[in-house]
Amino acid sequence: MSEMIQKPDSNAFFSVQDIHSYYGESYIVQGVSFEIAEREIVALLGRNGAGKTSTLRTIARAHEPFLKKGKIVLNGMPLHQLEAHQAAQIGVQLVPEDRRIIGGATVEENLILAQIAKPIGWSFEQIYEHFPRLAERRKQQATTLSGGEQQMLAVARALARDLKLLLLDEPYEGLAPIIVREIERILLEVKKLGITTIIVEQNAVAALKLADRAIILDTGLVAFDGSAQEVLDNKELREEYLAI
Amino acid sequence: MGIINRGTIHLTVFALIVLTFPFWFEYTGGYAGLDTKIIIWAIFALGFDLLLITGYLSFGHAAFFGISAYATGLMLLHYSSNIIEAMIVGVVVSTIAAVIIGFLTLRRTGIYFSVLTLAFGEMFHTAAVSIFSGLTGGENGLTGLPTPTLFGEKMQGSNVFYLCAIFLIIGFYLARRITRSPFGLMLKSLKSNQTRLEYIGINVQFYKNSAFVLSSIYAAVAGSLMVIYEPYVATEFLEWKTSGTLVIMSVMGGVGTLFGPMIGAAFMLYFENVASVFLEEQWLLALGIMFMAIVVYLPGGFVDGYKRMMRHWVKKNQA
Ligand SMILES: Nc1ncnc2c1ncn2[C@@H]1O[C@H](COP(=O)(O)OP(=O)(O)OP(=O)(O)O)[C@@H](O)[C@H]1O
Ligand SMILES: [Mg+2]
Repeated sequence: MSEMIQKPDSNAFFSVQDIHSYYGESYIVQGVSFEIAEREIVALLGRNGAGKTSTLRTIARAHEPFLKKGKIVLNGMPLHQLEAHQAAQIGVQLVPEDRRIIGGATVEENLILAQIAKPIGWSFEQIYEHFPRLAERRKQQATTLSGGEQQMLAVARALARDLKLLLLDEPYEGLAPIIVREIERILLEVKKLGITTIIVEQNAVAALKLADRAIILDTGLVAFDGSAQEVLDNKELREEYLAI
Repeated sequence: MGIINRGTIHLTVFALIVLTFPFWFEYTGGYAGLDTKIIIWAIFALGFDLLLITGYLSFGHAAFFGISAYATGLMLLHYSSNIIEAMIVGVVVSTIAAVIIGFLTLRRTGIYFSVLTLAFGEMFHTAAVSIFSGLTGGENGLTGLPTPTLFGEKMQGSNVFYLCAIFLIIGFYLARRITRSPFGLMLKSLKSNQTRLEYIGINVQFYKNSAFVLSSIYAAVAGSLMVIYEPYVATEFLEWKTSGTLVIMSVMGGVGTLFGPMIGAAFMLYFENVASVFLEEQWLLALGIMFMAIVVYLPGGFVDGYKRMMRHWVKKNQA
Protein backbone atom coordinates (compact mmCIF):
# COMPACT_ATOMS: atom_id res chain seq x y z
CA MET A 1 0.00 0.00 0.00
CA SER A 2 2.99 2.26 0.33
CA GLU A 3 2.50 3.60 -3.19
CA MET A 4 -0.56 5.34 -1.81
CA ILE A 5 1.57 7.71 0.28
CA GLN A 6 1.16 11.07 -1.32
CA LYS A 7 3.94 13.46 -2.03
CA PRO A 8 3.84 16.18 0.61
CA ASP A 9 2.22 19.35 -0.58
CA SER A 10 3.37 22.37 1.36
CA ASN A 11 0.15 24.21 0.47
CA ALA A 12 -1.92 22.02 2.78
CA PHE A 13 -3.27 23.55 5.98
CA PHE A 14 -1.39 20.96 7.96
CA SER A 15 1.28 18.62 6.73
CA VAL A 16 3.62 16.05 8.17
CA GLN A 17 6.54 15.48 5.82
CA ASP A 18 8.62 12.35 6.24
CA ILE A 19 8.99 12.48 10.01
CA HIS A 20 11.33 10.12 11.87
CA SER A 21 11.34 10.04 15.66
CA TYR A 22 13.08 8.14 18.42
CA TYR A 23 12.73 7.22 22.06
CA GLY A 24 16.40 7.14 22.92
CA GLU A 25 17.79 4.54 20.56
CA SER A 26 14.49 3.00 19.52
CA TYR A 27 13.35 4.15 16.14
CA ILE A 28 9.57 4.40 16.27
CA VAL A 29 8.08 6.83 13.74
CA GLN A 30 9.84 5.74 10.57
CA GLY A 31 8.97 8.25 7.88
CA VAL A 32 5.34 9.23 8.21
CA SER A 33 3.84 11.72 5.74
CA PHE A 34 0.31 13.01 5.35
CA GLU A 35 -1.56 16.22 4.98
CA ILE A 36 -4.82 17.57 6.24
CA ALA A 37 -7.05 20.27 4.85
CA GLU A 38 -8.52 22.97 7.04
CA ARG A 39 -11.68 21.83 8.90
CA GLU A 40 -10.98 18.21 8.02
CA ILE A 41 -11.24 15.44 10.61
CA VAL A 42 -8.85 12.54 10.21
CA ALA A 43 -8.92 9.24 12.08
CA LEU A 44 -5.42 7.93 12.74
CA LEU A 45 -5.76 4.17 13.13
CA GLY A 46 -3.62 1.12 13.55
CA ARG A 47 -2.90 -1.76 15.86
CA ASN A 48 -1.43 -1.43 19.35
CA GLY A 49 2.10 -0.17 19.13
CA ALA A 50 1.72 1.04 15.54
CA GLY A 51 3.02 4.46 16.53
CA LYS A 52 -0.19 6.51 16.75
CA THR A 53 0.55 8.10 20.12
CA SER A 54 4.16 8.64 19.12
CA THR A 55 3.03 10.46 15.97
CA LEU A 56 0.70 12.74 17.93
CA ARG A 57 3.38 13.44 20.49
CA THR A 58 5.85 14.27 17.77
CA ILE A 59 3.39 16.71 16.26
CA ALA A 60 2.74 18.33 19.64
CA ARG A 61 6.53 18.61 20.08
CA ALA A 62 6.67 16.61 23.30
CA HIS A 63 10.16 15.98 24.71
CA GLU A 64 9.74 12.35 23.73
CA PRO A 65 9.89 10.94 21.14
CA PHE A 66 12.66 13.05 19.70
CA LEU A 67 12.14 14.23 16.11
CA LYS A 68 15.32 13.55 14.19
CA LYS A 69 14.23 14.28 10.67
CA GLY A 70 11.25 15.66 8.80
CA LYS A 71 8.98 18.66 8.68
CA ILE A 72 5.70 19.46 10.33
CA VAL A 73 3.91 22.53 9.02
CA LEU A 74 0.74 24.12 10.37
CA ASN A 75 -0.71 27.02 8.46
CA GLY A 76 2.75 27.87 7.10
CA MET A 77 4.39 27.66 10.52
CA PRO A 78 7.29 25.20 10.92
CA LEU A 79 6.22 23.19 13.97
CA HIS A 80 9.29 20.98 13.73
CA GLN A 81 11.41 23.92 14.86
CA LEU A 82 9.34 24.61 17.96
CA GLU A 83 9.12 23.36 21.51
CA ALA A 84 5.94 21.97 23.08
CA HIS A 85 4.81 25.23 24.66
CA GLN A 86 5.45 27.15 21.44
CA ALA A 87 3.50 24.62 19.42
CA ALA A 88 0.64 25.04 21.88
CA GLN A 89 0.85 28.80 21.51
CA ILE A 90 0.38 28.64 17.76
CA GLY A 91 -2.69 26.46 18.17
CA VAL A 92 -1.79 22.79 18.54
CA GLN A 93 -3.69 21.16 21.39
CA LEU A 94 -2.97 17.61 22.39
CA VAL A 95 -5.50 15.83 24.57
CA PRO A 96 -3.29 12.96 25.72
CA GLU A 97 -4.44 9.42 26.46
CA ASP A 98 -3.34 9.34 30.12
CA ARG A 99 -4.89 11.45 32.89
CA ARG A 100 -5.57 14.62 31.07
CA ILE A 101 -6.08 17.23 33.76
CA ILE A 102 -3.87 19.34 36.00
CA GLY A 103 -3.83 17.99 39.53
CA GLY A 104 -3.97 20.16 42.62
CA ALA A 105 -6.29 22.57 40.81
CA THR A 106 -10.04 22.89 40.47
CA VAL A 107 -11.99 22.62 37.22
CA GLU A 108 -12.05 26.38 36.85
CA GLU A 109 -8.37 26.70 37.73
CA ASN A 110 -7.58 24.23 34.95
CA LEU A 111 -9.31 26.61 32.56
CA ILE A 112 -7.55 29.64 34.05
CA LEU A 113 -4.21 27.93 33.54
CA ALA A 114 -5.12 27.19 29.94
CA GLN A 115 -5.54 30.89 29.30
CA ILE A 116 -2.29 32.13 30.82
CA ALA A 117 -0.43 31.86 27.53
CA LYS A 118 -1.87 33.91 24.70
CA PRO A 119 -3.72 33.68 22.36
CA ILE A 120 -6.86 32.38 24.00
CA GLY A 121 -10.06 30.92 22.55
CA TRP A 122 -13.44 30.45 24.14
CA SER A 123 -14.54 32.46 27.15
CA PHE A 124 -15.58 30.69 30.34
CA GLU A 125 -19.22 31.54 29.56
CA GLN A 126 -19.00 29.78 26.21
CA ILE A 127 -17.29 26.79 27.75
CA TYR A 128 -19.79 26.41 30.58
CA GLU A 129 -22.65 26.80 28.14
CA HIS A 130 -21.37 23.85 26.10
CA PHE A 131 -20.27 21.84 29.12
CA PRO A 132 -22.98 22.23 31.75
CA ARG A 133 -21.51 19.32 33.74
CA LEU A 134 -18.30 21.30 34.15
CA ALA A 135 -20.22 24.43 35.10
CA GLU A 136 -21.82 22.52 37.98
CA ARG A 137 -18.41 21.34 39.13
CA ARG A 138 -16.31 24.42 38.57
CA LYS A 139 -15.08 24.54 42.17
CA GLN A 140 -14.41 20.79 42.37
CA GLN A 141 -10.86 19.43 42.46
CA ALA A 142 -10.22 18.24 38.91
CA THR A 143 -8.64 14.97 40.06
CA THR A 144 -11.93 13.99 41.70
CA LEU A 145 -13.85 14.20 38.42
CA SER A 146 -15.00 10.97 36.79
CA GLY A 147 -13.09 9.73 33.76
CA GLY A 148 -15.70 11.10 31.38
CA GLU A 149 -15.78 14.47 33.12
CA GLN A 150 -12.00 14.67 32.99
CA GLN A 151 -12.15 14.00 29.27
CA MET A 152 -14.70 16.81 28.90
CA LEU A 153 -12.45 19.12 30.87
CA ALA A 154 -9.52 18.20 28.63
CA VAL A 155 -11.54 19.06 25.51
CA ALA A 156 -12.88 22.22 27.16
CA ARG A 157 -9.36 23.25 28.05
CA ALA A 158 -8.29 22.82 24.43
CA LEU A 159 -11.19 25.05 23.37
CA ALA A 160 -10.18 27.64 25.95
CA ARG A 161 -7.09 28.16 23.83
CA ASP A 162 -6.94 29.56 20.32
CA LEU A 163 -7.24 26.17 18.71
CA LYS A 164 -6.08 25.39 15.17
CA LEU A 165 -5.30 21.70 15.35
CA LEU A 166 -6.86 19.35 17.86
CA LEU A 167 -5.09 16.06 18.58
CA LEU A 168 -7.24 13.54 20.43
CA ASP A 169 -5.57 10.40 21.72
CA GLU A 170 -8.17 7.72 22.47
CA PRO A 171 -10.87 10.03 23.80
CA TYR A 172 -13.25 7.12 24.47
CA GLU A 173 -10.75 4.89 26.24
CA GLY A 174 -11.96 3.37 29.47
CA LEU A 175 -15.33 5.13 29.42
CA ALA A 176 -18.76 3.57 29.86
CA PRO A 177 -20.93 3.49 26.69
CA ILE A 178 -23.24 6.18 28.02
CA ILE A 179 -20.31 8.52 28.65
CA VAL A 180 -18.84 7.65 25.26
CA ARG A 181 -22.08 8.91 23.73
CA GLU A 182 -21.80 12.15 25.63
CA ILE A 183 -18.19 12.70 24.54
CA GLU A 184 -19.28 11.81 21.00
CA ARG A 185 -21.94 14.50 21.14
CA ILE A 186 -19.32 17.02 22.26
CA LEU A 187 -16.92 16.01 19.50
CA LEU A 188 -19.71 16.33 16.93
CA GLU A 189 -20.18 19.89 18.15
CA VAL A 190 -16.44 20.48 17.83
CA LYS A 191 -16.70 19.13 14.29
CA LYS A 192 -19.46 21.64 13.49
CA LEU A 193 -17.13 24.39 14.63
CA GLY A 194 -14.81 23.33 11.83
CA ILE A 195 -11.78 22.60 13.96
CA THR A 196 -9.14 20.57 12.15
CA THR A 197 -8.76 17.37 14.14
CA ILE A 198 -6.74 14.17 14.27
CA ILE A 199 -8.44 11.49 16.32
CA VAL A 200 -6.65 8.32 17.39
CA GLU A 201 -9.00 5.59 18.55
CA GLN A 202 -8.93 1.86 19.25
CA ASN A 203 -12.60 1.91 18.54
CA ALA A 204 -12.15 2.48 14.79
CA VAL A 205 -15.86 2.40 14.03
CA ALA A 206 -16.54 5.22 16.49
CA ALA A 207 -13.66 7.26 15.09
CA LEU A 208 -14.76 6.70 11.50
CA LYS A 209 -18.26 7.96 12.35
CA LEU A 210 -16.70 11.29 13.15
CA ALA A 211 -13.91 11.39 10.58
CA ASP A 212 -13.88 12.43 6.93
CA ARG A 213 -10.71 10.54 6.27
CA ALA A 214 -8.65 7.71 7.69
CA ILE A 215 -4.92 7.12 7.89
CA ILE A 216 -3.71 3.71 8.98
CA LEU A 217 -0.29 3.36 10.56
CA ASP A 218 1.65 0.13 10.70
CA THR A 219 5.03 -0.18 12.45
CA GLY A 220 5.72 3.51 12.19
CA LEU A 221 4.71 3.91 8.55
CA VAL A 222 1.57 5.00 6.71
CA ALA A 223 -0.12 1.87 5.34
CA PHE A 224 -3.30 3.48 4.08
CA ASP A 225 -4.59 6.98 3.46
CA GLY A 226 -8.10 7.36 2.12
CA SER A 227 -11.70 8.11 2.88
CA ALA A 228 -13.37 6.85 6.03
CA GLN A 229 -15.96 5.05 3.93
CA GLU A 230 -13.25 3.09 2.11
CA VAL A 231 -12.02 1.64 5.39
CA LEU A 232 -15.52 0.70 6.45
CA ASP A 233 -16.11 -1.00 3.07
CA ASN A 234 -12.77 -2.78 2.77
CA LYS A 235 -12.92 -5.93 4.87
CA GLU A 236 -9.35 -7.06 4.09
CA LEU A 237 -7.91 -3.73 5.12
CA ARG A 238 -9.80 -3.83 8.35
CA GLU A 239 -8.74 -7.36 9.12
CA GLU A 240 -5.11 -6.76 8.29
CA TYR A 241 -4.56 -3.51 10.19
CA LEU A 242 -7.41 -2.99 12.59
CA ALA A 243 -8.63 -6.44 13.57
CA ILE A 244 -12.28 -5.46 13.20
CA MET B 1 -18.80 44.46 52.34
CA GLY B 2 -17.58 46.84 49.66
CA ILE B 3 -13.86 47.48 49.71
CA ILE B 4 -13.36 45.75 53.06
CA ASN B 5 -12.71 42.22 51.83
CA ARG B 6 -10.83 39.42 53.51
CA GLY B 7 -7.58 40.35 51.79
CA THR B 8 -7.68 43.89 53.13
CA ILE B 9 -8.41 42.60 56.63
CA HIS B 10 -5.56 40.08 56.49
CA LEU B 11 -3.14 42.70 55.27
CA THR B 12 -4.22 45.28 57.85
CA VAL B 13 -3.96 42.82 60.71
CA PHE B 14 -0.58 41.71 59.46
CA ALA B 15 0.68 45.28 59.18
CA LEU B 16 -0.56 46.10 62.69
CA ILE B 17 1.14 43.06 64.19
CA VAL B 18 4.41 43.90 62.47
CA LEU B 19 4.36 47.60 63.29
CA THR B 20 3.50 47.08 66.96
CA PHE B 21 5.96 44.23 67.30
CA PRO B 22 8.62 46.17 69.30
CA PHE B 23 6.00 47.28 71.87
CA TRP B 24 4.85 43.86 72.93
CA PHE B 25 7.92 41.82 72.02
CA GLU B 26 9.86 42.94 75.10
CA TYR B 27 7.19 41.44 77.35
CA THR B 28 7.86 38.01 75.85
CA GLY B 29 11.46 38.07 76.93
CA GLY B 30 12.92 39.20 73.62
CA TYR B 31 15.76 41.71 73.65
CA ALA B 32 15.77 44.93 71.68
CA GLY B 33 17.16 44.27 68.22
CA LEU B 34 15.99 40.69 68.05
CA ASP B 35 12.67 41.99 66.70
CA THR B 36 14.48 43.57 63.75
CA LYS B 37 16.41 40.37 63.10
CA ILE B 38 13.16 38.40 63.12
CA ILE B 39 11.62 40.76 60.58
CA ILE B 40 14.66 40.39 58.30
CA TRP B 41 14.54 36.61 58.45
CA ALA B 42 10.80 36.73 57.87
CA ILE B 43 11.44 38.58 54.58
CA PHE B 44 14.00 35.93 53.63
CA ALA B 45 11.62 33.05 54.48
CA LEU B 46 8.60 34.69 52.86
CA GLY B 47 10.40 34.99 49.53
CA PHE B 48 11.70 31.45 49.82
CA ASP B 49 8.12 30.23 50.02
CA LEU B 50 7.51 31.58 46.52
CA LEU B 51 10.08 29.07 45.31
CA LEU B 52 8.97 26.24 47.58
CA ILE B 53 5.43 26.31 46.17
CA THR B 54 6.89 25.19 42.84
CA GLY B 55 8.32 22.09 44.51
CA TYR B 56 11.96 23.14 44.06
CA LEU B 57 13.91 22.92 47.31
CA SER B 58 16.97 25.14 47.14
CA PHE B 59 19.82 24.56 49.55
CA GLY B 60 21.74 27.52 48.22
CA HIS B 61 19.70 30.59 49.00
CA ALA B 62 22.38 31.77 51.42
CA ALA B 63 24.22 32.77 48.26
CA PHE B 64 21.72 35.49 47.41
CA PHE B 65 21.43 36.66 51.00
CA GLY B 66 25.22 36.73 51.35
CA ILE B 67 26.10 38.22 47.97
CA SER B 68 23.72 41.06 48.62
CA ALA B 69 25.11 41.49 52.13
CA TYR B 70 28.68 41.71 50.84
CA ALA B 71 27.75 44.07 48.02
CA THR B 72 25.84 46.29 50.45
CA GLY B 73 28.73 46.21 52.91
CA LEU B 74 31.29 47.07 50.25
CA MET B 75 29.17 49.98 49.05
CA LEU B 76 28.83 51.32 52.60
CA LEU B 77 32.56 50.92 53.16
CA HIS B 78 33.93 52.32 49.93
CA TYR B 79 31.22 54.46 48.37
CA SER B 80 28.81 56.10 50.76
CA SER B 81 27.02 55.38 54.00
CA ASN B 82 23.74 56.12 52.22
CA ILE B 83 21.67 52.94 52.18
CA ILE B 84 19.75 53.65 48.96
CA GLU B 85 22.66 53.06 46.60
CA ALA B 86 24.02 50.28 48.81
CA MET B 87 20.72 48.40 48.81
CA ILE B 88 20.15 48.84 45.10
CA VAL B 89 23.61 47.56 44.26
CA GLY B 90 23.23 44.68 46.72
CA VAL B 91 19.94 43.55 45.24
CA VAL B 92 20.97 44.02 41.62
CA VAL B 93 24.25 42.11 41.97
CA SER B 94 22.54 39.30 43.82
CA THR B 95 19.72 39.12 41.27
CA ILE B 96 22.20 38.80 38.43
CA ALA B 97 23.77 35.87 40.27
CA ALA B 98 20.30 34.37 40.77
CA VAL B 99 19.47 34.59 37.06
CA ILE B 100 22.66 32.72 36.20
CA ILE B 101 22.42 30.10 38.94
CA GLY B 102 18.72 29.57 38.32
CA PHE B 103 19.40 29.02 34.63
CA LEU B 104 22.06 26.43 35.44
CA THR B 105 20.32 24.54 38.24
CA LEU B 106 16.67 24.51 37.17
CA ARG B 107 17.39 22.11 34.34
CA ARG B 108 17.37 19.42 37.01
CA THR B 109 14.62 18.52 39.45
CA GLY B 110 14.31 16.94 42.88
CA ILE B 111 17.43 16.00 44.73
CA TYR B 112 19.69 16.91 41.79
CA PHE B 113 18.45 20.47 41.89
CA SER B 114 18.92 20.66 45.66
CA VAL B 115 22.46 19.33 45.51
CA LEU B 116 23.37 21.66 42.65
CA THR B 117 22.14 24.71 44.55
CA LEU B 118 24.05 23.54 47.62
CA ALA B 119 27.21 23.23 45.54
CA PHE B 120 26.81 26.69 44.03
CA GLY B 121 26.14 28.17 47.46
CA GLU B 122 29.28 26.63 48.91
CA MET B 123 31.23 27.78 45.89
CA PHE B 124 30.41 31.40 46.73
CA HIS B 125 31.26 30.87 50.37
CA THR B 126 34.61 29.32 49.52
CA ALA B 127 35.37 32.06 47.03
CA ALA B 128 34.57 34.75 49.60
CA VAL B 129 36.97 33.35 52.18
CA SER B 130 39.74 32.46 49.73
CA ILE B 131 40.31 34.13 46.38
CA PHE B 132 38.26 37.20 47.24
CA SER B 133 39.48 37.52 50.82
CA GLY B 134 41.26 40.78 49.99
CA LEU B 135 37.89 42.27 49.15
CA THR B 136 35.70 40.47 51.68
CA GLY B 137 37.97 40.41 54.70
CA GLY B 138 38.26 36.63 54.49
CA GLU B 139 37.33 34.60 57.55
CA ASN B 140 36.96 37.74 59.67
CA GLY B 141 34.11 39.02 57.57
CA LEU B 142 33.73 42.55 56.36
CA THR B 143 34.38 44.92 59.23
CA GLY B 144 34.82 48.62 59.87
CA LEU B 145 31.62 49.68 58.15
CA PRO B 146 30.27 53.16 58.93
CA THR B 147 26.83 53.58 60.47
CA PRO B 148 24.44 53.51 57.51
CA THR B 149 22.39 56.63 56.84
CA LEU B 150 19.21 57.55 55.02
CA PHE B 151 18.77 61.21 54.02
CA GLY B 152 21.38 62.13 56.64
CA GLU B 153 19.50 60.24 59.34
CA LYS B 154 21.51 57.54 61.11
CA MET B 155 19.99 54.09 60.58
CA GLN B 156 20.03 52.62 64.07
CA GLY B 157 17.58 51.12 66.54
CA SER B 158 13.94 51.69 65.72
CA ASN B 159 14.79 53.43 62.42
CA VAL B 160 16.13 50.14 61.13
CA PHE B 161 13.21 48.25 62.58
CA TYR B 162 10.65 50.34 60.72
CA LEU B 163 12.66 50.22 57.51
CA CYS B 164 12.63 46.42 57.69
CA ALA B 165 8.99 46.34 58.75
CA ILE B 166 7.98 48.36 55.69
CA PHE B 167 9.85 45.97 53.41
CA LEU B 168 8.16 43.01 55.06
CA ILE B 169 4.68 44.49 54.72
CA ILE B 170 5.24 45.36 51.06
CA GLY B 171 6.82 41.95 50.51
CA PHE B 172 3.84 40.22 52.09
CA TYR B 173 1.38 42.24 50.03
CA LEU B 174 3.21 41.32 46.81
CA ALA B 175 3.62 37.66 47.73
CA ARG B 176 -0.09 37.45 48.47
CA ARG B 177 -0.96 39.09 45.16
CA ILE B 178 1.35 36.69 43.35
CA THR B 179 0.10 33.49 44.98
CA ARG B 180 -3.53 34.45 44.35
CA SER B 181 -3.03 35.29 40.68
CA PRO B 182 -3.08 32.90 37.71
CA PHE B 183 0.71 33.20 37.74
CA GLY B 184 0.78 31.91 41.33
CA LEU B 185 -1.62 29.12 40.46
CA MET B 186 0.74 28.11 37.71
CA LEU B 187 3.75 28.18 40.04
CA LYS B 188 1.90 25.80 42.35
CA SER B 189 1.02 23.54 39.43
CA LEU B 190 4.67 23.28 38.37
CA LYS B 191 5.22 20.83 41.19
CA SER B 192 3.48 17.94 39.46
CA ASN B 193 2.31 18.98 36.02
CA GLN B 194 5.20 20.39 34.03
CA THR B 195 4.54 18.54 30.77
CA ARG B 196 0.84 19.23 30.95
CA LEU B 197 1.53 22.92 31.42
CA GLU B 198 3.71 22.89 28.34
CA TYR B 199 0.86 21.38 26.37
CA ILE B 200 -1.26 24.42 27.19
CA GLY B 201 1.38 26.80 25.98
CA ILE B 202 3.21 27.63 29.19
CA ASN B 203 6.95 28.18 28.98
CA VAL B 204 7.72 26.16 32.08
CA GLN B 205 11.45 26.87 32.11
CA PHE B 206 10.88 30.60 32.03
CA TYR B 207 8.40 30.56 34.89
CA LYS B 208 10.56 28.31 37.05
CA ASN B 209 13.34 30.81 36.60
CA SER B 210 10.98 33.64 37.49
CA ALA B 211 10.05 31.98 40.78
CA PHE B 212 13.70 31.34 41.55
CA VAL B 213 14.71 34.94 40.84
CA LEU B 214 11.73 36.33 42.70
CA SER B 215 12.63 34.38 45.83
CA SER B 216 16.23 35.50 45.43
CA ILE B 217 15.19 39.13 45.35
CA TYR B 218 13.55 38.70 48.77
CA ALA B 219 16.75 36.98 49.95
CA ALA B 220 18.80 39.87 48.61
CA VAL B 221 16.65 42.48 50.30
CA ALA B 222 16.95 40.56 53.57
CA GLY B 223 20.74 40.22 53.20
CA SER B 224 21.10 43.91 52.52
CA LEU B 225 18.90 44.86 55.49
CA MET B 226 20.95 42.59 57.71
CA VAL B 227 24.03 44.70 57.03
CA ILE B 228 22.10 47.89 57.65
CA TYR B 229 20.82 46.43 60.92
CA GLU B 230 24.29 45.41 62.02
CA PRO B 231 27.04 47.02 59.93
CA TYR B 232 29.16 43.93 59.58
CA VAL B 233 29.17 41.06 57.05
CA ALA B 234 29.78 37.63 58.53
CA THR B 235 31.10 34.85 56.30
CA GLU B 236 28.36 32.62 57.65
CA PHE B 237 25.81 34.66 55.69
CA LEU B 238 27.06 32.75 52.65
CA GLU B 239 27.40 29.41 54.36
CA TRP B 240 25.20 26.35 53.83
CA LYS B 241 24.06 26.68 57.47
CA THR B 242 22.17 29.82 56.53
CA SER B 243 20.44 27.96 53.69
CA GLY B 244 19.69 25.07 56.02
CA THR B 245 18.22 27.36 58.67
CA LEU B 246 15.95 28.84 56.01
CA VAL B 247 14.71 25.40 54.99
CA ILE B 248 14.08 24.38 58.62
CA MET B 249 12.13 27.57 59.33
CA SER B 250 9.97 27.05 56.27
CA VAL B 251 9.20 23.41 57.05
CA MET B 252 8.44 24.14 60.71
CA GLY B 253 6.14 27.01 59.83
CA GLY B 254 4.37 25.37 56.90
CA VAL B 255 5.56 25.41 53.30
CA GLY B 256 3.38 27.21 50.77
CA THR B 257 1.33 29.17 53.28
CA LEU B 258 3.30 32.47 53.27
CA PHE B 259 2.44 32.97 56.95
CA GLY B 260 4.06 29.71 57.98
CA PRO B 261 7.67 30.41 57.02
CA MET B 262 7.49 33.84 58.67
CA ILE B 263 6.20 32.27 61.88
CA GLY B 264 8.88 29.61 61.55
CA ALA B 265 11.51 32.35 61.28
CA ALA B 266 10.18 34.15 64.35
CA PHE B 267 9.97 30.94 66.30
CA MET B 268 13.46 29.82 65.46
CA LEU B 269 15.18 33.11 66.24
CA TYR B 270 13.22 33.50 69.43
CA PHE B 271 14.04 29.99 70.44
CA GLU B 272 17.70 30.39 69.60
CA ASN B 273 18.06 33.62 71.54
CA VAL B 274 15.61 33.29 74.39
CA ALA B 275 15.32 29.59 75.11
CA SER B 276 19.09 29.18 74.88
CA VAL B 277 19.36 31.28 78.00
CA PHE B 278 17.79 28.37 79.91
CA LEU B 279 18.91 25.49 77.74
CA GLU B 280 22.41 26.77 76.97
CA GLU B 281 24.12 24.57 74.41
CA GLN B 282 21.25 22.09 74.48
CA TRP B 283 18.97 24.40 72.54
CA LEU B 284 20.05 22.90 69.21
CA LEU B 285 19.18 19.44 70.44
CA ALA B 286 15.77 20.66 71.60
CA LEU B 287 15.25 22.33 68.25
CA GLY B 288 16.23 19.15 66.42
CA ILE B 289 13.73 17.09 68.38
CA MET B 290 11.00 19.63 67.73
CA PHE B 291 11.83 19.70 64.05
CA MET B 292 11.58 15.93 63.78
CA ALA B 293 8.32 15.87 65.71
CA ILE B 294 6.85 18.43 63.34
CA VAL B 295 7.99 16.61 60.20
CA VAL B 296 6.51 13.34 61.46
CA TYR B 297 3.31 14.45 63.20
CA LEU B 298 2.54 17.79 61.60
CA PRO B 299 3.88 17.82 58.05
CA GLY B 300 2.03 21.06 57.36
CA GLY B 301 3.96 22.83 60.11
CA PHE B 302 2.60 25.37 62.60
CA VAL B 303 0.00 26.68 60.18
CA ASP B 304 -1.40 23.18 59.75
CA GLY B 305 -1.39 22.72 63.53
CA TYR B 306 -3.35 25.93 63.94
CA LYS B 307 -5.88 24.88 61.30
CA ARG B 308 -6.38 21.49 62.92
CA MET B 309 -6.89 23.14 66.30
CA MET B 310 -9.46 25.52 64.85
CA ARG B 311 -11.33 22.67 63.19
CA HIS B 312 -11.35 20.74 66.42
CA TRP B 313 -12.60 23.77 68.30
CA VAL B 314 -15.38 24.46 65.80
CA LYS B 315 -16.51 20.83 65.97
CA LYS B 316 -16.57 20.89 69.76
CA ASN B 317 -18.61 24.04 69.82
CA GLN B 318 -21.09 22.68 67.33
CA ALA B 319 -21.66 19.51 69.36
N1 LIG C 1 8.75 6.07 26.20
C1 LIG C 1 9.01 5.06 25.33
N2 LIG C 1 10.24 4.51 25.26
C2 LIG C 1 10.52 3.52 24.39
N3 LIG C 1 9.63 3.03 23.52
C3 LIG C 1 8.39 3.53 23.53
C4 LIG C 1 8.01 4.57 24.43
N4 LIG C 1 6.72 4.86 24.23
C5 LIG C 1 6.30 4.04 23.24
N5 LIG C 1 7.30 3.24 22.81
C6 LIG C 1 7.23 2.23 21.77
O1 LIG C 1 6.86 2.85 20.56
C7 LIG C 1 5.99 2.03 19.83
C8 LIG C 1 4.78 2.81 19.42
O2 LIG C 1 4.08 3.19 20.59
P1 LIG C 1 2.81 4.13 20.54
O3 LIG C 1 2.43 4.42 21.95
O4 LIG C 1 3.07 5.26 19.66
O5 LIG C 1 1.73 3.15 19.90
P2 LIG C 1 0.18 3.35 19.71
O6 LIG C 1 -0.08 3.17 18.26
O7 LIG C 1 -0.28 4.61 20.32
O8 LIG C 1 -0.38 2.11 20.51
P3 LIG C 1 -1.69 1.95 21.40
O9 LIG C 1 -2.80 1.69 20.47
O10 LIG C 1 -1.40 0.75 22.24
O11 LIG C 1 -1.86 3.19 22.19
C9 LIG C 1 5.68 0.83 20.69
O12 LIG C 1 6.44 -0.24 20.23
C10 LIG C 1 6.12 1.25 22.06
O13 LIG C 1 6.61 0.17 22.79
MG1 LIG D 1 -1.42 5.10 21.99
